[in-house]
Amino acid sequence: MTPALVDVRGLVKHFPGERRWLGLGRPRAVVRAVDDVSFAIAPGQTLGLVGESGCGKSTVGRAILRLIEPDAGRVTIDGQDVVALRAGALRALRRRMQIVFQDPYGSLNPRMTVHQMLAEPLAIHRLARGADAERRIAALLEEVGLDPGFAQSYAHELSGGQRQRVGIARALSVEPQFLVLDEPVSALDVSVQAQVLNLLADLQQRRRLTYLFIAHDLAVVKHIADHVAVMYLGKIVERAPAPALYAGPRHPYTTSLLSAVPVPDPKAQRQRIVLSGDVPSPAHPPPGCPFHPRCPHPRKDARCRTEPPALREVAPGQLAACHFAEQPL
Amino acid sequence: MTEPLLRVRDLKTYFVTEHGSGTARAVDGVSFDVQPGETLGIVGESGCGKTVTSLSILRLIPEPPGHIRPGSFIEFEGRNLLTLEPRELRAIRGNQIAMIFQEPMTSLNPVFTVGDQIAEAAIVHQRLSRRAARTRAIEMLRLVGIPDPEERVDHYPHQMSGGMRQRVMIGMALVCHPKLLIADEPTTALDVTIQAQILELLDRLQAELGMAVMLITHDLGVVAGSADRVVVMYAGQVVEQAPTAALFARPLHPYTEGLLASVPRLDAPPARERGRLHGIPGQVPAATAWPDGCRFHPRCPYAWDRCRAEAPPLLDAGGAGEPGTHTVRCWLLTDPRRRTPHP
Repeated sequence: MTPALVDVRGLVKHFPGERRWLGLGRPRAVVRAVDDVSFAIAPGQTLGLVGESGCGKSTVGRAILRLIEPDAGRVTIDGQDVVALRAGALRALRRRMQIVFQDPYGSLNPRMTVHQMLAEPLAIHRLARGADAERRIAALLEEVGLDPGFAQSYAHELSGGQRQRVGIARALSVEPQFLVLDEPVSALDVSVQAQVLNLLADLQQRRRLTYLFIAHDLAVVKHIADHVAVMYLGKIVERAPAPALYAGPRHPYTTSLLSAVPVPDPKAQRQRIVLSGDVPSPAHPPPGCPFHPRCPHPRKDARCRTEPPALREVAPGQLAACHFAEQPL
Repeated sequence: MTEPLLRVRDLKTYFVTEHGSGTARAVDGVSFDVQPGETLGIVGESGCGKTVTSLSILRLIPEPPGHIRPGSFIEFEGRNLLTLEPRELRAIRGNQIAMIFQEPMTSLNPVFTVGDQIAEAAIVHQRLSRRAARTRAIEMLRLVGIPDPEERVDHYPHQMSGGMRQRVMIGMALVCHPKLLIADEPTTALDVTIQAQILELLDRLQAELGMAVMLITHDLGVVAGSADRVVVMYAGQVVEQAPTAALFARPLHPYTEGLLASVPRLDAPPARERGRLHGIPGQVPAATAWPDGCRFHPRCPYAWDRCRAEAPPLLDAGGAGEPGTHTVRCWLLTDPRRRTPHP
């Protein structure tokens, strides 16, 4: 097996609760946004990180890039320890790891032209200037499927799909090896979403990019990911190669999530598991298995309420954090 | 065939744009029926006119800048909604036709309890006393599956989760037992496990209360699971209309076909074992400048001269059922041999 390009071990990020009464009172409970998350991604591969709102998936993406500071854990990218780096060295490493955000409306500067947005990273990292920079900007626009004429446009003149292409071009401008894609297609219409997913697949192949693809849509992730990790309340509850996870999920949460995705086929007679209740607050996760209050597993017992299940290998390459992973739903 | 509950004929809703640069023909000649008790899915992407259609039915289009063109016709139980006096319209709106919106946070009033908001419609339309309306509100909360309804009735929207707020919205809409519920992207803002809860709730309530539902969504999966018939909209027009099974088995409009091919599917083989998604090239044109001829022709893989010159009408596709069961706005129906994509 090739060594991993991205290696995350025991990542933790807790957000302190704000103090009540104008900052003078008792602090609110700590939000355990990310709680002991580990995974690795081999070069040129895609890990899909899925989960519902508030499960901590975006926080993982940001903590890896140190856009927010992790509280504990080790993150190495191509052997370099990201967490230990000082500001200067971190800036240099940022050339090799970039992020594309969900909201193509909020993540582009409305006062800059597309040209300025693409020229800025080139200048900051001293990669190109003058005619060389012009050539690179034109090549980038072409690579993401935008007409060079868009260089002088402002974000508001572009459609959602075009903006997302600009966001991707901006991330690619510094020639990174690793991209965090944080819900990159969830704000787009389905016909445009397909175009952008195809573009991401092409770019990955051509540039041998490694992706952390964060999404809530399991069908989209199935289309693009080699491995999948499912998060619930700040923890990874299942992690497996994509074919194994989609064919035979071992954690009841994964099974329920998969069964809840609407399939565009009226003839598909599926057993839909409808989970009761809402996701608990990450400030007050339930004791024992965090999923136990909503778990539909018929064998769930007292152990689930008291003893947190460890993430363990239950089939070759497939890890699940469930006491009953050997008898999946 | 039974008399339709709602008949929409040649609905045109236009908006004058801010810069005076023209008129946006957001809805441009839309016709369809809703039968009593059925679920009609209205599918399309951003800007196709699906939301403006639903707002036009309740006459909630802000005027100006919008206006419903003369010649449009919306008939509910035999009465033309477009010519009703405001007082007569109010007696129907929220009473016989109710609506739920995508954003349960912005469509609930933050300064009133959810009980007050549910009770309001019952007080206005059914002249219930405050006490009776409160009892009704508690019943509605129980009906939509909110735990501890006696306690929750005094809560404010911010004290509830997104899924609970959408349940409250549904309770508000159903308090007068409407004959038609218009649900505009009711689950789009929700997580998939909560979406499943809400779709199941809507199915159950529809069966219990016997109402018709107009389900407006961009999600073909949601439509496949819930709708009896589907209307596909593109560029302000209906481009295909068919029973759900027929539409998914035999999509005839190239846009419907492209939309179905664009959806990443859970029942498809995983990445690397399969090819690319198909997608539809280009993007939706602006409502101020729909293309001439067929509005889909610039993105259509089959387009030929006729498509560029002449706008197709809705043509009958034949198939099972009586004429008009499956209709398609595409010249391919007159020349099926052309259904081979250009290189």
